[in-house]
Amino acid sequence: MSTLEDQPLRRAGDMDDREDHAPGDAPEESAGHWVTNTHLGLGFSVVLTVAAFVLARGGLVWAPAIPVALIVLAIAQMGVHLVFFLHVTTGPDNTNNVLALAFGVMVVFLIVVGSLWIMGHLNHNMMPMDELMRMQR
Amino acid sequence: MFGKLDWSAVPFSQPIPLITSVVILLAMLGVLVLATVKGWWPYLWREWITSVDHKRIGVMYGLLGTLMLIRGFADAIMMRTHQAMAVGGGEGYLPPEHYNQIFTAHGTIMILFGAMPLVLAFMNYLVPLQLGVRDVAFPTFNSVGFWLTASGALLVNVSLFVGEFARTGWLPYPPLSENAYSPGVGVDYYLWAVQISGIGTLITGINIVTTVLKMRCPGMSYLRMPIFCWTALASCLLIVAAFPILTATLAMLTLDRYLDWHYFTNTAGGNPMMFVNLVWAWGHPEVYILVLPAFGIFSEIFPTFSGKPLFGYRSMVAATLFICVVSMLVWLHHFFTMGAGAAVNTFFGISSSIIAVGTGVKIYNWIFTMYGGRVRFEVPMLWSMGFIFTFIIGGLTGVLLAIPPADFLTHNSMFLVAHFHNVIVGAVVFAVFAGLEFWFPKVFGFRLHAGWGKAAFWLAFTGFWVTFTPLYVLGLQGMTRRLQHVNVPDWAPGLYVSVVGVAILALGVAAQIIQLVVSIRHRDTLRDVTGDPWDGRSLEWATASPPPFFNFAVMPDVEGEEAYWDIKRRALESQQLGPEPDYAPIEMPLNSPVGIYTAFFTFVFGFSMVWHIWWVAVAALVAAFAGFVVFAWRDAHEHEVPAEEVARLDRARREARTALLARLPREESAS
Repeated sequence: MSTLEDQPLRRAGDMDDREDHAPGDAPEESAGHWVTNTHLGLGFSVVLTVAAFVLARGGLVWAPAIPVALIVLAIAQMGVHLVFFLHVTTGPDNTNNVLALAFGVMVVFLIVVGSLWIMGHLNHNMMPMDELMRMQR
Repeated sequence: MFGKLDWSAVPFSQPIPLITSVVILLAMLGVLVLATVKGWWPYLWREWITSVDHKRIGVMYGLLGTLMLIRGFADAIMMRTHQAMAVGGGEGYLPPEHYNQIFTAHGTIMILFGAMPLVLAFMNYLVPLQLGVRDVAFPTFNSVGFWLTASGALLVNVSLFVGEFARTGWLPYPPLSENAYSPGVGVDYYLWAVQISGIGTLITGINIVTTVLKMRCPGMSYLRMPIFCWTALASCLLIVAAFPILTATLAMLTLDRYLDWHYFTNTAGGNPMMFVNLVWAWGHPEVYILVLPAFGIFSEIFPTFSGKPLFGYRSMVAATLFICVVSMLVWLHHFFTMGAGAAVNTFFGISSSIIAVGTGVKIYNWIFTMYGGRVRFEVPMLWSMGFIFTFIIGGLTGVLLAIPPADFLTHNSMFLVAHFHNVIVGAVVFAVFAGLEFWFPKVFGFRLHAGWGKAAFWLAFTGFWVTFTPLYVLGLQGMTRRLQHVNVPDWAPGLYVSVVGVAILALGVAAQIIQLVVSIRHRDTLRDVTGDPWDGRSLEWATASPPPFFNFAVMPDVEGEEAYWDIKRRALESQQLGPEPDYAPIEMPLNSPVGIYTAFFTFVFGFSMVWHIWWVAVAALVAAFAGFVVFAWRDAHEHEVPAEEVARLDRARREARTALLARLPREESAS
């Protein structure tokens, strides 16, 4: 669903750089660029991982803020993975990847938020069995 | 050495499963011996078992689904007859533990091993043909997906002979499915079979999504794709989104059962309600995974047999995508009665009613496609019109069930059973038979006998309503589902009528089989030489019947919504085919045994996990993984078809088309 929606490839094998490619037809990426890219990603994700462990040990930031800090680091980690390892970019040849990502995020959001909401109400109305038993004792 | 497995696993004392399994084993042995004696193995190995051709894989999916449909129908016959005999003072002929296995197996097999493979069969076969390309995006992956599904199906059926199947219902709700209440191997069979086939389904889903998004022929923009491709895309997006939820949920239950964890137990902080919540977060999208391609099949049949383009193409696309998204938002309506309360129930009741709007748009589009058209009442059209009638009733009872207060009265009743059979049989099964009649000449090169096809339709249609109308009534009278013994004598008449309906349905199945036999015997008179037996409108009718293994000698050039219809109009107006194209060599993927190899060891893995034979399980997992490694390091993956071979095959097709062109105007003026 790129801007080329109404005029995709005119002839078979006539590849347009701006259009998404079929598997195996993507243009070759230079090895040097690939190595740099992957190493950068590895570096970022190691730094983020180490930072998470350091923060979790406490002392560095205000204790109640630690969960929030960990969530921020986790989201940053996802970003690093998407950009450096899964090669999601904002370029026009990446429309499908971005749309797939958006769909995935939406589904995860619906399932997680929906489940939290549903389970919250269920646990309130239908107390879990062990709590019920404890109350009966 | 062999874990929990010993001779007591074989049901020597129970005649029904024992005789059934012996008969099945003898039949399988007979087929194997026949294939060996006739020397069919090299052909089967080369052309089918190791084939990565999407058409061959599609046909094999179809065969698997048909076999499982018959198995599931056998379970249904047992349930209906047993209940009719076990009403009031009667005892029936199935002991409770066996009856419970049967209703569990019926649901599991019909949905996951019958309907799913059949739907995947159509998607595999048709999507590349309709998009004008030569194969799916990942051909070998496709073969792996099929064989994994098949090994899951095998695992379910092995449980008949070795051990037992789950007694929990088709979704194994804890705490019943936990070790404390289901200590046997039944639930383990369910878990591993569904996990293995689930991976197979996920693989096919990824494959079809990639194919539709990235492999269309020149000129085939998104809004020129046939509706079937749109529904296949939406369905496979749902597979990719929803099947991981099932995998994760069943993995948690597996951990509960194997390692004594406490995700869903009653004790130690487990919460069984979470399982119900998660499994339906998969379960409801699953309904639409099945039904969207069915809608796609009807959207191909209505225009063809009405001689008109589909009414409201763009609204059809929008409705499909609307259903795709909203189907992720309705799962709670399967457990309104669990007690989430008014706020949650209201939200999901409203969203469940809203999703009917998308379906309503589609129904009106199909009706308006027929309106003003020259409708031909061929067999595929009969199934399609029967579908509209059946599905509207099923949809209306669905909207009724979507209202929480009404659901509290009908939850888990026979009314619910009648409702979901009404939509799944009415849409998915009718679509499969409609599609079978419609595309059979494309797949095998000859039509099916129309007379027997009509008989099969009317018997199935009548049988369906005679079976399920009494169940609606019984449900409203208060009969719950899954009863091994019915102690209200007043319900007997309804159950008897239902058995009569099953008998009519069985006659329909027989008519379907006779139709196949008769058609094969008269295949020479029913031959489709042109490749376009129904005056079709999309690209699959542009190739020969059956299509050459490369589908299209040259990539079609698409200029409008109905790709093949345009090409055909042009040829009819100018009274000649387009100029002969320049044939070029074609690269096609090589066959690969990795699919059946991996699936075989995955089956061994699943079986040994069920019986706790740990060393075999580890060895099989390593062996299955080794298959992937060897495949990943292969040297050659494509072979070239020389241009002369392409030209030879395509010239034969062009000759048949030219002959048809010379014949057509005379026929049109005669009619």
